[in-house]
Amino acid sequence: MNKKQRMFFRMVAASLVRRRSRMIVALLAIVVGATILSGLGMIYYDVPRQMSAQFRSYGANIILTPDNENGIEENTLKAAVAAFDKEQLQGYTPYRYENSKIHNMPVTLAATDFQSVLKTSPYWHITGSLPAAEGEALIGAKTAESLGLSLGDTAAAVNSFTVTDTTDISGIPDYEIVTDPETGEQYCDHELELKITGILETGGSEEDYIYIHSADMNSLLLRERGYDVVEVSVAAMQKELKGYTEAISRQVKGVSAKLVKRVTASESTVLTKLESLVLIVTLVVLALTMICVATTMTAVIAERRKEIGLRKALGALNSSIVAEFLSEGLVLGGVGGILGSVLGYYFADIVSMNVFSSGITLRPLLIPITILASVLVTGAACLIPIRSAVDVDPALVLKGE
Amino acid sequence: MFFRMIRGTFVRQWKKMLMIALTVALGASIATAMLNVMLDVGDKINEELKTYGSNITVVPQSQAVMNKLYDVEEGDAGEEYIAEEKLGELMTIFWANNITDFAPVTDTTVTLNGEEVSLSGTWFDHHLEFVKKGTTYQRDTGIINLRSWWDIHDGNWLDEQKPGSEAGAMVGAELAKKQKIAAGDTITVKGEHSTETLKVTGIFESGDEADEGIYTTLPVVQRLTDSQGLFKKAEVSAITSPEDELAIKAARNPSLLSGDEYDLWYCTAYVSSICFQIQEAIPEASAQAVRQIADSEGKILEKTQLLMSLITLMSLLGATLGISNLVTSGVMERSAELALLKAVGATNGQVTRLVLTEVLMTSAVGAAAGYFLGYAFAQIIGQTVFSSSVEMSGMVAFVVAVLIISVTLLGSLPAVRMLLRLRPSEVLHGGH
Amino acid sequence: MSLLELKNVSKIYGELHALDQANLTVEKGEWIAIMGPSGSGKSTMMNIISCMDRPTSGQVIFDGKDITKESRRKLTEFHRDKIGLVFQQFHLINYLTAVENVMVAQYYHSMPDEKEALEALERVGLKERARHLPSQLSGGEQQRVCIARALINSPELILADEPTGNLDEANENIVLDIFRQLHKEGTSLVVVTHDPEVGEVAQRIVRLDHGKIVSDRKNEHFTE
Repeated sequence: MNKKQRMFFRMVAASLVRRRSRMIVALLAIVVGATILSGLGMIYYDVPRQMSAQFRSYGANIILTPDNENGIEENTLKAAVAAFDKEQLQGYTPYRYENSKIHNMPVTLAATDFQSVLKTSPYWHITGSLPAAEGEALIGAKTAESLGLSLGDTAAAVNSFTVTDTTDISGIPDYEIVTDPETGEQYCDHELELKITGILETGGSEEDYIYIHSADMNSLLLRERGYDVVEVSVAAMQKELKGYTEAISRQVKGVSAKLVKRVTASESTVLTKLESLVLIVTLVVLALTMICVATTMTAVIAERRKEIGLRKALGALNSSIVAEFLSEGLVLGGVGGILGSVLGYYFADIVSMNVFSSGITLRPLLIPITILASVLVTGAACLIPIRSAVDVDPALVLKGE
Repeated sequence: MFFRMIRGTFVRQWKKMLMIALTVALGASIATAMLNVMLDVGDKINEELKTYGSNITVVPQSQAVMNKLYDVEEGDAGEEYIAEEKLGELMTIFWANNITDFAPVTDTTVTLNGEEVSLSGTWFDHHLEFVKKGTTYQRDTGIINLRSWWDIHDGNWLDEQKPGSEAGAMVGAELAKKQKIAAGDTITVKGEHSTETLKVTGIFESGDEADEGIYTTLPVVQRLTDSQGLFKKAEVSAITSPEDELAIKAARNPSLLSGDEYDLWYCTAYVSSICFQIQEAIPEASAQAVRQIADSEGKILEKTQLLMSLITLMSLLGATLGISNLVTSGVMERSAELALLKAVGATNGQVTRLVLTEVLMTSAVGAAAGYFLGYAFAQIIGQTVFSSSVEMSGMVAFVVAVLIISVTLLGSLPAVRMLLRLRPSEVLHGGH
Repeated sequence: MSLLELKNVSKIYGELHALDQANLTVEKGEWIAIMGPSGSGKSTMMNIISCMDRPTSGQVIFDGKDITKESRRKLTEFHRDKIGLVFQQFHLINYLTAVENVMVAQYYHSMPDEKEALEALERVGLKERARHLPSQLSGGEQQRVCIARALINSPELILADEPTGNLDEANENIVLDIFRQLHKEGTSLVVVTHDPEVGEVAQRIVRLDHGKIVSDRKNEHFTE
C-alpha cells in the first residue's frame, strides 16, 4: 500500500470515526433497512413451511385405501408410510370399521390408534378423555344421544356369530348357542363391555361412530383384518402431495393413495394468497425503507457540499471525490448490512417463535443478499447526490456562507 | 416575527424540509398501509378460507330426542326433514351478511343401471327470494361456492337458472369412469317413489366419496323420496371470528353467560353465536359447527393476524427510526443558524418553540401526504393479493397521526437537548 | 516572462459586467494587493486567476501558456499544480486534524507525506497543534493551517481571498508576517482584500471598481 492509498483510507476512516453522530444516523438507517430486508425475507421464505404446519389442523390430506377385501395390513402400512419425508409427516391414523349392535341398535365400531388420532384429526372436540386402556371407548355425540349413553357409562357391543361348521367360536368365554325359533338358525352372541371415557363432537360424520382399540375389535370379532382407511397428515403443498400419492400407489402393493382434495386444493389456494400477501407486503415495506435509506444518505451527503467544493478547489478530480465518498458509503452499507442481517435473523426468529412457536429456518443465502443489497442501495443513494455535488462550481460553494 | 422566521426557514431550507417531509410521508405511508392491511387481513383470509366449504351444518332436531319424546319405533319415521322455505330465514338473522353461501342437501340411494349409487339433491346457483314482515330478501346461493375444490373434468357446472336445467345432473368421476358416463349423456335413476331421467351437464372430481355419487337439483330428489318442499340437511358457510374464552364458555351453554357477556357473544360472529341464531330463526333445526373447518379457520386466522401484526410492528419500528433519524439530523444541521438566534438573545424556550413548530408543520404535511400514499399502497396490496379493496379504518388515521407527532417530537429531542446546551460562541467560532 | 497575464478579460453575467476589459500582469516574486469595495469584481478576478472560473472574453496567460481554452480537467490540474489558495473562511475539513488537512492538498497534488506536512505547519508556527481538529484551534491558527496547506505543494502563486477578514488584529499581524516571509523567499502573492491595512503592506496595489481597474500603482511605503 503506497502513501496515497494510505491517505485515502486515513481520510475515509477519519470521516467515519470523527463524524460519529452523522455516521450513526446513516448507519442506523441502513441497519433498519437491512434488518427489514433480511427479517422479512426470512419470514417470507419460512411462511409456507410454517403455515403449512398450521393448515394441518384441517386434518388428513392424504388417505390410503386398500385394494382388496383384507384391508391394509400392518407391514403394508409401514411400507406406504415410509414413502413420506419424516420431517413433513405429521401423523397417520388407521381406521377399521365394523358393524355391531348396542342395545339392539345397529352401530358402527371404528378401531383406531388413539395415540395418533389427534395428529390427523386435531379438530376433534372430546368431552372426557381419549380411551387409554382396552375396553374403553370414545363415542360420537350423535350415537351417544341416540343410544342414551353418557360419560362413564358402560355398554356392551354385541356381535352375533351364526354357528356354522367353519366358525370357530371357542374363543368366546362362556358362550351360549341360541337357536332362532323361526329360522332354526343357530347363533352365538359375543359381548364386549365398553366403558365410555369420552364423547366426540366434530359436527361431521365422525359423530356417528364408536371408536375402540384395535385389540378390542379383534377380540369382539374373533379375527384380525387390515385397516379400511388410513388418514395421513403431511405438511406439504398439493404438488408434492400428488407426487407422494402417485409414488405410493405405484410402489406399494395393496394400497392406493388419494388426495383429500377438499383439504389440499383449498390449502394451496389460501396458502398461495398468504404467501403473496407476505411477499407484496415485504416488497412495499422494503421499497419504502430503501427510499428512507436513500433520503438519509442524500441528506448526509448534501450537507458536505462545501467540503466537496473545497476538495475541488484543492485540485481534486471529480472521480477521486466520488471514489472517496462512495467508499465511505460502501463501508457503511457493508457494516449496516452485516448488522442488519444478524438483527433480521433475530427479529424473524422472534416473530416465528411468537406466531408459530418454532424457530425460523436460517436461510444462509439471505445474508450475502442482504449485505449486497444494502451495499448497493447505499452506494446508489450516495452516488446520486455526490454526482450532482461534484458538478458544483467550487467558487460558488466556497463563497456562499 | 415568529411566523416570519418560520416562513423564512421554509423558503430558504425548503430542500431540507422537503427531505424531512418526504421521509415522514414514507413512514406514514408504511404505517397507514400496514395497519389497514393488518386490520383487514382477518376478513380477507376468512373469505379465502371459505374455499374449504361450509363450516356449519343445519340438520333437523335430533331423531333421538323425537324418539324419546314420542316413543316412536325406529324405522322410516326416523327420516326427518326441514321445510325448504324455512331456509330463507337465514337471510334475516343478525349475522346474515356473514353468511356467504348456503345450500340444502338431501341424500338418497337410487339405482342406476342396476347399481346402487348415492344421489344428492341440492341448489347449485339457486335464486332465493324470501318475504318476511313486508321486506323482500333475495340472493343467489348454492353449492358452487361450497365445493370450490371440485375439478370439472368434462362439461360444466349445472346452471340452475337456465330454463330446462331442472333435470340436470353432475356425476362423480369414479362413477362416470365405472359406468362410462360423459357430459351430455342421459341417465335414468330409479328411486323409491319415482324414476327420473337426468341429463348429465358435467363430470366432477372431488377427491372424496362424492366421486362415486351423483348431484342433481333438489326437486328431483324430492320427487324420488316423496319429500316435496323439504330437505334433510343444509350446509352453511359463514365468516366467523376466531373462538376465544367467551365463545368456549358460551358453547357449553349460552344461558350461563351474564347479560353483558351474552350480548357480546351474541353480537360477535362466533360460529357458536351464528349457530344459535340459526336455531332461533328455524326452531325445528339444529345448527352445528363443522369442527374440522371452524376450528382450523380460527387457528389459521389467529396465526395470520399475529404474523401480520408483528410484521406491521417491525415496519412501524423501521419507519419510526427512519423518521426520528432524519428529524434529528435535520435539526442538528441547523445548529449554527439556531446558535446565531441564541447569540442575538433568543431564549432556549423561543428557539425550541421555533424548531418544534417548523418540524411539526413539516411532519404534518408529510404525514397527510403519507396517509394518502399509504391508502394507495393498501389498495395495491388488497387488489394484488385478494382482488378486493382493503377497508380503511378511521382509527388508523388517528393512530398514524399520534405516531407521527410523537416520533417527530422524539426525533427532535436529541437535537433540542443539544441546542439547549449549545453556547453560541462555540458554534460561531468552530468553523463549519 | 511574466507569471500571469490577463488580456482584456471580461466576465459578464447577463447584464452585469462583473469584470470589464481588465488587463493585469503579475511578475514572478511580486506581491500584489487587489483592492476595492464589495461588488467591484475582486472575487471574479480571483476566480479567474485561480482557474476556478473562465472569462467571457479575453485571454489568461499563465507561465506563458494561454489557459483560456483549456478543458475543465486540464484547468483543474493546472490550478492544482501552480496555485495555493487561502480563504477568508479557512475551509478546513472539520473531521481531519491540522496535519491531515495539509496532507489532503498533497494527496490531490501528488503524494501525501506527513513529514513534509509537519514541516509546513512548523513554518507557520503550528507544529505543536498539528494533531488538533479545526474545532480545537482558534481562528488565527485555522488560517495558518490554511496557509500551510496552500504552501505545501510549492505553488508558483499564492492567492489569498480576504485572508484576515475573520481574524483579530494580533492574528492578522501573524498572517501578514508569514506573507512577508513568503515574499522574501520569492513566492508570488496575490491578496484580495478590502482592508487598507492589509493592502498597504503589498508591493503593488491594484484598485478595482465596477469591474474596471481604476488604478495600478507601486506601493511607495513597501518595505522589504
